[in-house]
Amino acid sequence: MANLKEIRNRIASVGSTMQITSAMKMVSAAKLKRAQDAVTQMRPYAGKLKEILENLSATLDLSENAFSEQREVKNVLVVGITSNRGLCGGFNNNIIKRTGVLIHEDYKNANVHVLSVGKKIRDVYKRTEYNYANERIDNMEDVYADLRFEVVAQLAEEIIQQFNNKSFDKIVLVYNRFINAATQFVETEQFLPIVPTATEGENTGDYLFEPSKIEIVEDLIPKSLKLQLYKAIRDSFAAEHGARMTAMHKATDNANELQKSLKLSYNKARQAAITNEILEIVGGAEALNG
Amino acid sequence: MKLEIITPEASLFKGEATSVTLPGLDGVFQVLNNHAPIISSLKSGEVIFELSGNEADAEMSNLLVRSGSKVHASIKGGVAELNNNRLVILAE
Repeated sequence: MANLKEIRNRIASVGSTMQITSAMKMVSAAKLKRAQDAVTQMRPYAGKLKEILENLSATLDLSENAFSEQREVKNVLVVGITSNRGLCGGFNNNIIKRTGVLIHEDYKNANVHVLSVGKKIRDVYKRTEYNYANERIDNMEDVYADLRFEVVAQLAEEIIQQFNNKSFDKIVLVYNRFINAATQFVETEQFLPIVPTATEGENTGDYLFEPSKIEIVEDLIPKSLKLQLYKAIRDSFAAEHGARMTAMHKATDNANELQKSLKLSYNKARQAAITNEILEIVGGAEALNG
Repeated sequence: MKLEIITPEASLFKGEATSVTLPGLDGVFQVLNNHAPIISSLKSGEVIFELSGNEADAEMSNLLVRSGSKVHASIKGGVAELNNNRLVILAE
């Protein structure tokens, strides 16, 4: 029979853990709401940009620009997006695992580098040969502290430049796509070269173009790439809070259950002790009477 | 014309305007009501537009600077699309 005091201490400890996890759940829920709002705010911009690009590409062959140049895949850059903090279930591990698969299976014949966004994946690749270091975009951990389009746009520009100067032939994003608070989907997305999207034969209208069409397209493609990266990071950010909320919810539930079973064994032990005492008293009285 | 200014982070303006001055890639230009459809790249500069109609209907972010009936919005670049008297500016 376990010691009564021991059980009492454990009940208290589980109780305070539960308090922490449920507080963390509340915090994540609030942050998730805000992160989700930011994703929603991005939608009108993304929708319109896509519309204009489609409008343009309907009359213009988009496959003939620097951004969709297909080269032999020798150097690959994997942009892995994780969070800075843990306690969110398999959220970060899934990304790290998928990145590993990309390195060792999908692109095993190519020279792969990993650009880490977020502390968790950075910790894994920091000291390996795969780590991609660049002083201009160093310390991408700070991106979450102040998640603005401008910051991400800078990163995107740097990546685009790396593609254009042929340092890399292919650039892939790995991130958690936000589906709902409880579900994330590990997405592997080709960033560059651009995957041509099938456009419906829409009417362009009789637009004036200022400057020329081609110049506009060349101006717009980097914009849409920046947006793609921003969207990926935003999605990952929302997914992180969703994952943490779910993980903390589960932890709270588990703590609750553990506390219940501990209370049960505590009461059992207490009753056993009382029964024992009564038996002893009765036995003692019997011996006196006898 | 109907004017919308949106960024990836927020909507800056939605409402009616009579004239809009834009920092085009090849120089500043102005569009008035019923302008022909146009798509233009913008460089960094100021979008200046004149409010019209019931201003109460317009949704305006406090990032914009207002002086009289004119409103100034500084942008870092973007693209503008005008069609059917509806101007959408995707700004950065």
